[in-house]
Amino acid sequence: MKDINSNKLLKLFLYLVLFAILTPMIILLLLAFASRWPWPSLLPDTYSLRAIKEVLAPHTKVVSTLFSSIILSLSVAILSAIVGTMTARALVLYEFKGKGFIDFLGLAPNIVPGAIFAMGIHVVFIKISLADTVLGVIIVHLMYTLPYSINIMRDLTKSIGDQMEMQAYVLGASPLKAFMYITLPLLTPGIMASVSMAYITSFSQYFITLLIGGGKVKTISLLMVPFITKGDRNIGSAYALVFAISTLLVFIIIDKIIKKITISK
Amino acid sequence: MNKKIPFILIMPIVLLGVLFMYGVINGIVQGFGYIPAFNLRHITLDYYIEILNSDTFLDSLKISLQISVTSSIISVLLGTMLTAALVYTGHTEGKVIQVIKLAILIPHTIVALFSISMLSQNGLIARLFYQLGLINGQGDFPLLLYTKNNLGIILGYIWKEVPFVAYFSLALMSSINNTLGEASENLGASKLKTFFHITLPLSMPAIRKAFLIILTFSFGAYDLPFLLGATVPKALPVQSHIEYIHPDLRHRPYAMAINGLILIITWTIAGIYYLITKKKKIKGDIHERY
Repeated sequence: MKDINSNKLLKLFLYLVLFAILTPMIILLLLAFASRWPWPSLLPDTYSLRAIKEVLAPHTKVVSTLFSSIILSLSVAILSAIVGTMTARALVLYEFKGKGFIDFLGLAPNIVPGAIFAMGIHVVFIKISLADTVLGVIIVHLMYTLPYSINIMRDLTKSIGDQMEMQAYVLGASPLKAFMYITLPLLTPGIMASVSMAYITSFSQYFITLLIGGGKVKTISLLMVPFITKGDRNIGSAYALVFAISTLLVFIIIDKIIKKITISK
Repeated sequence: MNKKIPFILIMPIVLLGVLFMYGVINGIVQGFGYIPAFNLRHITLDYYIEILNSDTFLDSLKISLQISVTSSIISVLLGTMLTAALVYTGHTEGKVIQVIKLAILIPHTIVALFSISMLSQNGLIARLFYQLGLINGQGDFPLLLYTKNNLGIILGYIWKEVPFVAYFSLALMSSINNTLGEASENLGASKLKTFFHITLPLSMPAIRKAFLIILTFSFGAYDLPFLLGATVPKALPVQSHIEYIHPDLRHRPYAMAINGLILIITWTIAGIYYLITKKKKIKGDIHERY
């Protein structure tokens, strides 16, 4: 009897949590389309496309910023997956001097808060003229995403091992060919997870992008925040909607491309 | 196999890692007042001493600790409950998990927007209270945003971190429940007893790690306190950034000294965590198997 009760309580708790997660998202959606929402109504009186139109108007440069923002984050995501795969391979499959140090380098950004390493690196980037450049922003985002990518790729590389690649060598394949045709397809799920993770992390950054990009490198997060600081909920929500929909589309496209590659192989 | 291969593979991480380390160390050195470019060459602890004696810093430290400790403790408690709820109601995959993942993916800037639309004096919760007759007008609803109680920030973190804790510890708790948990129930222990004596203690490694991650993250994070915090006192990273962009460049060492102190506190917390887990590991290695 007691067990049935506790299960009911857990179910209730679960529904409450889901409700708490979803409510603000629904409110955001309503805010993006609300034109009049006076106190104390729980739902908007009238709806319009004003906020969305205002955000997408040519003078806001949202469309071009969105495009460059996506390219920037995709570059970070792809580089992060490549460097993550390389580092994971070195750490899992090879013995070499300084392995412990490489292990530490890969995880170091995890133990330094983003705002703090951004300020330290900003000073260095000014010296080597990487401040206020897209490349500088990509490098800093990359430092932030790499620990996750290395972690994901490391677990996967460990579980795959190099036995199958070895068989390909024995049968006469070159190391590169063996990697491309044997290991890479097996690594695809990890690469996919790493790309999505790094993409959303990079796309979400506000402070790091602002500091290193010096306001010259614009992203959607950077365009959105002034409206949040001003407390303009309608425009802010419209930006958030653009943010969410574009991220979803990018994820769907990545998923399609990866599926195509793996099936054609 | 070719001996050069590992060194080619680690080249990019070495480049990026060294650049990262150089940036962090350079910042720490600047905190000791050594910035030749601004004609500051005298290495000193004065900036640290001055900051440790300033009320602005101590108030900021209090605020930052209050935000991170409160939000992390509540998040880890509710998050563990959520994990248990997911495991015992059989929702370890599927749509429910997708919703939980969604909350983890949403950036803090948008969480700030959620806080504003839900918690402000004319936000949704205030409207609901008014409709229920609990308050008589907007002014009766307590101020939760841009004020010293920082409740808007704390609730924002809880919104994001409860799903994180659940997602992070779900795999471990679910596997323990499926093996040892069921064994215990088969042997006649009640569900409640099994949870508190078997499943929860064995899930602690993941829960403890999740707690460490959210505690150190919320202590050093900039976005939420910047967007929802009071004018004074500001959270430490926000205060540090203000010193950093001060028009008088000789203020730079103050920013870096604050950053140094944030690092010391973060690393102390992480150090305590490793000491605790090391002790636990000697006591019993059972969790290693899962």
